[in-house]
Amino acid sequence: MPSALKADGITVQFGGVVAVDNVSLDVQQGTILGLIGPNGAGKTTLFNALTGFVPLKAGRIALHGQDVTHLAPHARVRAGMGRTFQTERPFEELTLLENVLVAAFLREPKRRHAEQLAMQVLEQVGLADRHDQPALDLNLARRRRLELAKALAVQPRVLFLDEMMAGLNPPALKEMIGFVRELAAQDLTIVMVEHIMEAIIELSDHVIVMANGHVITEGLPREVIEDPRVITAYLGED
Amino acid sequence: MNRHYLILSGLVVLGILYPQAFPGYLSVAITLLLFAGWATAWDILGGWAGQVSLGHASFVGLGGYFVAVGASQYGIAPWWAVAMALVAAAVLAYLWGRLTFKLTGPYFTLSTIAIAEILRLVAINEGWLTGGATGVFIMSLPEPFGLDLFARQTNYYLALAFAALTVLTVIAMSRNKFGYQLRAVREDEDSAMASGINPTTVKLKAFMLSGALTALGGGIYAIFLSFLEPHVIFYLLLSVQIALTAIIGGRGTIWGPCVGALLVVGSGEVFRTTFAEANMLIYGLLIMLVVMFLPRGIVGEPARYLIRRAYAKRAQS
Repeated sequence: MPSALKADGITVQFGGVVAVDNVSLDVQQGTILGLIGPNGAGKTTLFNALTGFVPLKAGRIALHGQDVTHLAPHARVRAGMGRTFQTERPFEELTLLENVLVAAFLREPKRRHAEQLAMQVLEQVGLADRHDQPALDLNLARRRRLELAKALAVQPRVLFLDEMMAGLNPPALKEMIGFVRELAAQDLTIVMVEHIMEAIIELSDHVIVMANGHVITEGLPREVIEDPRVITAYLGED
Repeated sequence: MNRHYLILSGLVVLGILYPQAFPGYLSVAITLLLFAGWATAWDILGGWAGQVSLGHASFVGLGGYFVAVGASQYGIAPWWAVAMALVAAAVLAYLWGRLTFKLTGPYFTLSTIAIAEILRLVAINEGWLTGGATGVFIMSLPEPFGLDLFARQTNYYLALAFAALTVLTVIAMSRNKFGYQLRAVREDEDSAMASGINPTTVKLKAFMLSGALTALGGGIYAIFLSFLEPHVIFYLLLSVQIALTAIIGGRGTIWGPCVGALLVVGSGEVFRTTFAEANMLIYGLLIMLVVMFLPRGIVGEPARYLIRRAYAKRAQS
């Protein structure tokens, strides 16, 4: 299988603190990589480094063989990365369709075509029937789906999901897991930072566990969560 | 078809008829139209892109000086002078944006004040070109098709065309890719980048467009005044007035700046004649009332209310 995302020796430093220390990963096309670890482990920082929102101290990043290490975040999106944000902030006064339209314009500069693409994506996440509603006061589950729609509308090849499942009630969680699984089935490559173990176990093909900026272990989800080092990282030592 | 185009066409027709109905009130109408156009142009950057400038007098001055100096010193026809001013304004906006868009919030705004001030000092000190502190007179202008450019009626129609052009630009922009990019950048630059938008490029484009349109109005203003003084045209007060007109009317709305111009220029005129010295007091009070009770502006606040109400209705059904 071809490598969709390859990162070597990623190091991020904030002042004197090394937030991510020499982390490497290689994600195969159409697979899901789960990124877990206790709070402060450096997951989100690594995530932001991969998507270009945080500068690297060292390391290289390649997207489908293209070196994107020195590209700005918006240029990486153009090159094929899509991402969601942990705290989603839709444009409240715009309708759902217009919210997605902003992203859809990246690949379809003509309004009519961009609108078609945006509608298609809204259908994919089950928000099509609300397309002309303002994004104001959308509930959490729908805000998440809108955030996902915005990320999909740039037609990414590698999709980065930042804690999409946090705070969702069981039915909404199940639904979101369904969406993500469907996307992977369509050959999209996914990297997700997640705290909800249920989602990690159900979805990930491969899991990387981080603590204190390092990778402490990686492997299949079931193996990883039973690893004593992981349990220690989460719960601390006796 | 978009209803805004219809409203604009209706207003333009009314505008064309206005000199027949009120031939004695052309000057105040010209001022109103120029402010409507400037505030609308300002709003492309200040409202739609969310970058508040308090230096737009620079562009007014640039447009004005190109026309005035061109006519008085070099015999350049005003339309060529305006064309050059548009390019100069776009270049100024580009360089200025390149330097300052790394600054956010109040720092960008402060830098804009500085630039208008620099241009004012240049206009005062480079007397060989600009006439220095005494200013520059436009003695004569060519007469295209026998049209007297100094005539109030001609000034009026130029101002009307300018205001209509800026509003037309914003209506078109509000529905296209660029308009959505501007809104995205204003709301959240990170989120805009995640949609593949380069915030700096988008802000630069907005600044260049806003500056060039403002300079166009500046050129018409110079013909209207036929006399330019650096203290007046590059003055901070003019920049503040342009910004306030848009803010009072409603930033980031299509009609807000025009409504703001009606209120600010119209009431300014009424208050000046009725209340004489007290007019600034009332002007200040008006601004306070809008800021306190209608923070999104006179057009922005009801627009938001309508959106909320439409949402509430849908939520009930």
